[in-house]
Formats: sequence, C-alpha cells, structure tokens
Amino acid sequence: MGQVRQPGRAQARDGELGAAVARAQDGDEAAFAIAYRIVQPGLLGYLRGIVGDDAEDVASDAWLEIARDFGRFKGDGAGFRGWTATIARHRALDHLRRQRVRPRAGGTEQDVLDLPGAHSTHEQALESLSTERALELVRGLPRDQAEAVLLRVVVGLDGPAAARVLGKRPGAVRTAAHRGLKRLARQLGIGGEAEEGVTDGAYRTLGQST
Amino acid sequence: MGERLSGGGVPGRRRGSDGALSDPRNERDAATLETVLAAALRTGDLDPQAEQRAVAAFRASHGEGTHRAARTRRRDDWRRPEERRARRPVKMTFGVVFASLTLGGVAVAAIGSVSTSTHAGGADRGTTHPSALAPDRPGGAPSSASSLGSRPTDGPAHAKDTEAHCRAYERVQGHGKALDAKVWKQLVAAAGGKAEVAAYCSEQLTRATATPGRSAGTGRSGEGAADAGNGAAGKTGASGSNTGGTGNTAGKTRAGGGQGGGKHK
Repeated sequence: MGQVRQPGRAQARDGELGAAVARAQDGDEAAFAIAYRIVQPGLLGYLRGIVGDDAEDVASDAWLEIARDFGRFKGDGAGFRGWTATIARHRALDHLRRQRVRPRAGGTEQDVLDLPGAHSTHEQALESLSTERALELVRGLPRDQAEAVLLRVVVGLDGPAAARVLGKRPGAVRTAAHRGLKRLARQLGIGGEAEEGVTDGAYRTLGQST
Repeated sequence: MGERLSGGGVPGRRRGSDGALSDPRNERDAATLETVLAAALRTGDLDPQAEQRAVAAFRASHGEGTHRAARTRRRDDWRRPEERRARRPVKMTFGVVFASLTLGGVAVAAIGSVSTSTHAGGADRGTTHPSALAPDRPGGAPSSASSLGSRPTDGPAHAKDTEAHCRAYERVQGHGKALDAKVWKQLVAAAGGKAEVAAYCSEQLTRATATPGRSAGTGRSGEGAADAGNGAAGKTGASGSNTGGTGNTAGKTRAGGGQGGGKHK
C-alpha cells in the first residue's frame, strides 16, 4: 500500500531518454532537444507545484544550467531525470528566496478539503481534475509531502532518486509521498472515506509535525 | 487535458472495482490517483522558444568545449548504485594496490636504505676486511696463522724434531750419552717422563710413517702456513663479497620498489 506507483508515462521513455542523453553527450543537438522534450513536462509540473506561475521562468534558468553542466552528468535516462530535477529544484529554491515568497501560496487547506464534497462520485472528481485543481490540491499539501508526490508521480523518479533530489532519507520521502497521496485521495473522494475520516485528524497532525 | 488523459486510463482501471472495499481496490485507487495527477500536472504543451534557448545554451557550452573539460562532481553522478559499485571496486582496487605499492615501496626503500647503510658498512667492512687482512697477510697472516694454528705450524716442526730425536733415541738407545743432553731433556719433557720416552717415540714414529704427506709437507710448513693464510684471506674475501652482494641486492630491491612506485603513479 505504501508503495507509490510510477506512472507509466514518466518512466516508459527512460530508455529513449538515456539514448538521447548519450548522443547529446557526443554533441548531438537534436538529441539534446529530444531529451528536453521528454524531461520538460515533468520538470514543469514539479516546478508549478513549488513556484506556481513562475515555473516557466525557473525552468528556463534550470535548462541554461543543465545545458552548461551537461558534460558533467553521468548516468542513464532515469539518472538524467534526477539530475535535472535537482538543478530545477535549486533554481526554484533560489527563486523563492529571492521573492521571499512562501512556497505554499495556494489556497487554504480548509478550502481544499471542502471542495471534493461537490462531486458525487470518484469518476466525476477524477475526470474533472484540471491542471489548476490538481496544482491547488498538491500545493495545499505540506511542503515535504507535495515535493515527494511531485517528484515521484510527476517527474517519475523512484524512491531513492527522489530522496537524493530532496537530500533526505528514502524512508522519509516514501512516508511523505504516501501521506501526501493519501491526503489527496481523501480530498478527491477516492478510497474508503469512512475509514479515512477516523484517522483524518491523526494524519493531519502527523503531516504537520513532519 | 486531464479529462482526456484520465478518460483514456481511468475507466479501464476502475472497471469492475465498484463496491469492493478491498486492498486491491485501494491500490487501484492509488494508481488511479497517480495517473490522474501525473496527467493533470504534466502538461504537454511546451514553449518552442524555451526549447530553442535550451538547445542554444547547449550548443554554446559544447562549442566552447565546456562539456569535455567539465569534471563530474558527486552531484552529477547519477549512475545506478550497482553501476557505481561495479566501478568503485576497480577504483578502490587500484587505490588499494597503489597505496600498498606506495607504502610497500616506502617500506622497502626504508629497509633498503637501512640495510644498504648497514650493508654499506658491511660492504666497507667487506672491502676493508681483505685490505685490512692484506697488509696483515705478509706479516699478519703468518702471525694470525701461527696464533690460530700455532700447533699446525709449530706442530710439524716440533713433530719433525721429535721424530729426529726419537730416531736418534732409537739408534743410540742403550748407548749412554749419545743424545745431546738438551735434546734428551726436551724429549723427556715431551714424553712426560724418562720411562715414557720409548712409548712416546714409538707413537710419534708410527704417526709419522702413517701420514707421509704430512711428514712430506713438513718440509714446506712455511708454505703451508702461507696457504692457510691465503685460504683464510680468500674466505674472508669471499664473505666480504658476499655481504657486498647482499648490499647490492638490497639496492636493487630498493631500485625496483622505486620503479614500481613510479610505474603506478
């Protein structure tokens, strides 16, 4: 249960990504563009979860650094995801520091918690999940949970890689991702709501204490 | 966007799961949630200009040769642990071998220097020994030979004398004062008593005839002594060259260690 599944889309192209990275390291510009197109969606999704509307600018900065330090990188496609995510994260944190903006500028948790009630079924909740809504939900999570969920689900990193990006132990990241997803599921009305309701308070306390 | 993608993936996943509040359903829910989240947050429309900027930056860095010159820092190494581990032993093996060679070389060099210093003394001793012996030899070797083998050098002469005295004693036996009193006294002294002279002489004569080489060699006792001296000097010379040889081997070993260390650098 605690295992966060990898979305097929994020990891399916790791082989292709690895090949593109290898060719790009030989100087192939087209291959670098391919790698960009494979990585950028996840990177942007992650950055949107941290810096919101400034994600595109931060991603641009990150890619300048990625392009500059590309010769230093060693690894395969999955490794490239982790490496680029680390660079993007540093740029995002710099950005937040400059702006002196709290990373969680989204709606209040109460708003988020109230909204799922409007949907009668899971399918409705999920099918109507827009990018804005999903972002809102994720940014409503405690920071560590939001980042863990984004790195694993959106960027497509495995547990150890996400932990490395965040500079934390894999166990802590796994727990954070699990709690974040539980909470999102609850908010979207997925899963046994009656059961979850009992432990809701405990979860929130734990989530905030971490 | 989210609708489109979830429309593709979610119904298939959720089909047949209605009403079952089991773990499989929870897992399906979790998987569904992740799929939906990924679909909603991984927006597909990318800004082509942003891509162009990234590629231009890549081109610039690569053109400047920054990529080739760049050193991989720890944070840039995203190889899989097993891959890194597979390479690390090689590195570590090299490191360990290099360290052991270096330390071993140092140790050998230290031993070599110590042993060569001692052996240098030894070699000096080895070289000075024969040369110290050599001036000794003309006067010293006989002296040492005489001091060492005073019996061999003195012995043959003394034995020869005793032999002659005994022959004379045999010849003059019973004829009174044919023997020189002085010689007689010596013979008596050597035999350990007047009564013992006959037995002593017969023993001496038997030995003298039993070892004719020695009795023959007695004539060249001086040469024999010189030979003995030469032999001794030759022996010490040989041992001196031997110590010199060990000094040489130590030097060679040290040189080898140095070469080994140099090679592995």
